[in-house]
Amino acid sequence: MFRNVFGRLLTEPIRVHRYLKNAPLIQRATADSVPARSFSDVKDEVQQQPFDTSLLEFLVCPLSKKPLRYEAETSELINEELGIAYPVVNGIPNMIPQEARLLQKDADASTSPTQE
Amino acid sequence: MAASMRLLLRRVIRLSHRYNNVTAAGGSARSGCCWGPSTCRCFSDVAGDRSTHFGFETVPETEKAKRVYKVFENVAQKYDTMNDVMSLGIHRLWKDMLLHAMHPQPGARLLDVAGGTGDISFRFLEYVRSQQERQKRRTARSMQTPSSQDISDNYSTEDEDTSQESRAVVCDINKEMLNVGRKRADSMGISAGLSWVVGNAEELPFDDDQFDIYTIAFGIRNVTHIDQALQEALRVLKPGGRFMCLEFSKVTNPVLARIYDAYSFQMIPVLGEVIAGDWKSYQYLVESIRKFPDQEEFKHMIEDAGFYCVKYNNLTSGVVALHSGFKL
Repeated sequence: MFRNVFGRLLTEPIRVHRYLKNAPLIQRATADSVPARSFSDVKDEVQQQPFDTSLLEFLVCPLSKKPLRYEAETSELINEELGIAYPVVNGIPNMIPQEARLLQKDADASTSPTQE
Repeated sequence: MAASMRLLLRRVIRLSHRYNNVTAAGGSARSGCCWGPSTCRCFSDVAGDRSTHFGFETVPETEKAKRVYKVFENVAQKYDTMNDVMSLGIHRLWKDMLLHAMHPQPGARLLDVAGGTGDISFRFLEYVRSQQERQKRRTARSMQTPSSQDISDNYSTEDEDTSQESRAVVCDINKEMLNVGRKRADSMGISAGLSWVVGNAEELPFDDDQFDIYTIAFGIRNVTHIDQALQEALRVLKPGGRFMCLEFSKVTNPVLARIYDAYSFQMIPVLGEVIAGDWKSYQYLVESIRKFPDQEEFKHMIEDAGFYCVKYNNLTSGVVALHSGFKL
């Protein structure tokens, strides 16, 4: 029984060391004094996170409460009716009307998202 | 080192003077705010430009949201540490009590508004998972000698479970808080059934009748139009859904109230300065607690929004109140 424990005690630090080697960027990011360069490294990694399309089941436009269409190339959620697009940053959709972009096709600038 | 200490001391004295001048005003403001935000709106509508409170300051409504955003943007990185320090770790007990009162069942859908760093959602998912395991253990125990019918039933129920997975959606107006929360989730290994959305509590980007439970923990006092947030809560909840709100409230015991006030105004901004390097944000925090309506008044506001069976429990003698209502 003790042999098992000793065996684990020996392999555990090796496993932890290996884990630590693979996660220096994450550690650096959580440190308080973060140099700008390493922070941008983490940002690039995090940017890869995809948008969870199962959210579209109940996610709607906050203004019109109508369903949205996900545009993968520009990483935006589009409301065709109002002609606005909500950005998806790092896989997190930003559903604040003021942050939405008017689609270029809509020349009618009077329907700005902030008017509600 | 000595210079910074002297600066700190001077700030403490200056702010405690300000507090002494302001308590007189604060006291009258407290009775004033009992009229309710609706009365304030009548007056300011006539004036043509709406104003509301930001701590003890009066600001135009449009500015409040921006300033609240900046406060949480500044404190996001140190938010969890500060919570532990300021409440001496008691905030964990408050949140655990919220979960116990909630008692969610597997398959429930939670909307955690002003969820920020995700405390409630993490607890929700862990609670539901342990419930699921308990259920499985119970069925396993009762199925020591299964018949062939039982075995085939078991296979079909397993499929149901995966389609009825519990989900938690964290919604917050502040991206920074959500990013901190997501990093925490990744480090804790919680990712299944957890979603993050940037949204405004007054204009939720969710369809009607979608959620079983709506929680807002320590967030509703930062909302500019509380009644709008309550109406949105009613909208997105399923019929039979539950609204739960944890918020700082009025302490019932007068002696404890004096101690609590002294602690809030003398200690918390100092801690904020020392740990998070931000005095003003934590000053706003303690002031906003004083401006928020008390337990009974908030209960009336929830009832006005259309919730039924509205009740509240005082936690820690009223430092925190847990309000609950149902959409029927």
